[in-house]
Amino acid sequence: MDVTVNRFLKIVLSIMFLLAIGWVVVELSSILIIFIIGALLAYILDPITSFLEYKGLSRTSATAVIFLCLALLLFIFIYFIVPPIIDQIKVIQHNLGSGKSTETINRIEEFIRKNLPMLKDVNLDLQNKLNTAVNHFSNSIFSLVGSVISIITTLVIIPFVVFFLLKDGRALIKSMVSIIPNRYFEITLNLIYKTDKQIGGYLRGQFFDALIIGFLSVVALWALNVPYFLLIGAFAGLANMVPYIGPLTGAVIAILVVTITNGAVNQMLMVAGAFALIQLLDNVLVQPIVVARSVQMHPLLVIFAVIAGGQFFGVIGMFLAVPAAAILKVFVLEIYYLYKKVNFA
Amino acid sequence: MHEDSLWTNIFRLKSGEKEDILTVLKRIPLFQDLTRKELRQLERILHQRSYKKDEVIFSEGEPGVGMYIIETGQVRITLGDEQKVLAVLSKGDFFGEMALLLEAPRTASAIANKPSRLYGFFQPDLFSILETYPRTGNKILLRLSQMIAERLRHSNLENRELRNKLNSLLKKED
Repeated sequence: MDVTVNRFLKIVLSIMFLLAIGWVVVELSSILIIFIIGALLAYILDPITSFLEYKGLSRTSATAVIFLCLALLLFIFIYFIVPPIIDQIKVIQHNLGSGKSTETINRIEEFIRKNLPMLKDVNLDLQNKLNTAVNHFSNSIFSLVGSVISIITTLVIIPFVVFFLLKDGRALIKSMVSIIPNRYFEITLNLIYKTDKQIGGYLRGQFFDALIIGFLSVVALWALNVPYFLLIGAFAGLANMVPYIGPLTGAVIAILVVTITNGAVNQMLMVAGAFALIQLLDNVLVQPIVVARSVQMHPLLVIFAVIAGGQFFGVIGMFLAVPAAAILKVFVLEIYYLYKKVNFA
Repeated sequence: MHEDSLWTNIFRLKSGEKEDILTVLKRIPLFQDLTRKELRQLERILHQRSYKKDEVIFSEGEPGVGMYIIETGQVRITLGDEQKVLAVLSKGDFFGEMALLLEAPRTASAIANKPSRLYGFFQPDLFSILETYPRTGNKILLRLSQMIAERLRHSNLENRELRNKLNSLLKKED
């Protein structure tokens, strides 16, 4: 009798505890996101710190060196890249309102009506839809950049988190592991190591791959004289971090922008060709060198994870879907292995 | 100068603790070739664990990730369900080193004979120390290889002795 009551109490307390944790996580989600981004950056930069340590620097000096380099990059980014990007967004907004693009959009609508008879009577209203989409997109970017408080908190907290996690991350993990009961100690370590093995190479690879693809896209679009090349190139790089869907989205947006601005068919083809070439280069050259990309998951599972991530957490969910699925996979496999061992040993 | 502040006490205690760990590590045969600086690098990756009497450290068949070194106490290594004792190890001894080198399930169980304090040293950390501080990593690996070679030599001698005994028994029967 007592045992049943005790067990019931334990279950109720555990559920209450989990609910409390869930509530705290939801309430603090905006701050947690900043910490998660900081932790991801620290995780991505960790091998560089270890390399500098190997070269003879202490962990603190290695972290400081990386921070100096990052500060320099951030300075270059804020002074040279952010202003043209903001200008380009403003130009897009302005152009959409002007007559030139309205004419092009009308042409596209006409083309669609002619070739897709089933849409004949449907009011496509592309102009308005596009205007709303671009306004929404640019407004959200401006509101993100514009909110002074959030930008200061983010700019201060993220580097702070990255610095301390880079410097003390291992000690932090070690002290967290030290409070785990002996019974679960080895299995926890095993899980940490396996997860690190699964997602470490993937995340770092994706990050550097995105940088390279972004750079190549900017250069290609600039060479092809595509307007807003910085914005589209940066977007293509970022989008590349989402498997399968990302690379396609970058190319589609670039072609769409060309269509809206001047509608030149040969330029559209050139842009499509450039993106195909970049993807080819990425697959043949960049990925094999930079990316230990394999998280050993079936492509269908990857696509499902990406869509599910997008459904639950939007764009950030899509970026983090694959590593999250990989972590889940490690946990499920290890627990299954343990269960099998306990039940069939 | 008024010295009795909370902070001075905390720092004194901390540095005292660190001294202790390094001295203890230096006494362990596996790490005796390491300098103080190298021991400090090593200390960052070792996991210190305490076990009660008869507490299981690891069980046969479980996936293992590394080895344990006994700082204080006593550990028995057992085999099978009947828990046949293969060896009783004490201060300075290490066990589970196969998992440090091979990714294979544990071949025996380890149980604390007395309240014990152990250091866990795991494969990924060995790899990381080999990458970050190759000199320290190599010293540890070399010492580990020497100790395993010594155990192998010992096993070979025992094996030969047993073979000889078996042969003479067979000859007697003939």
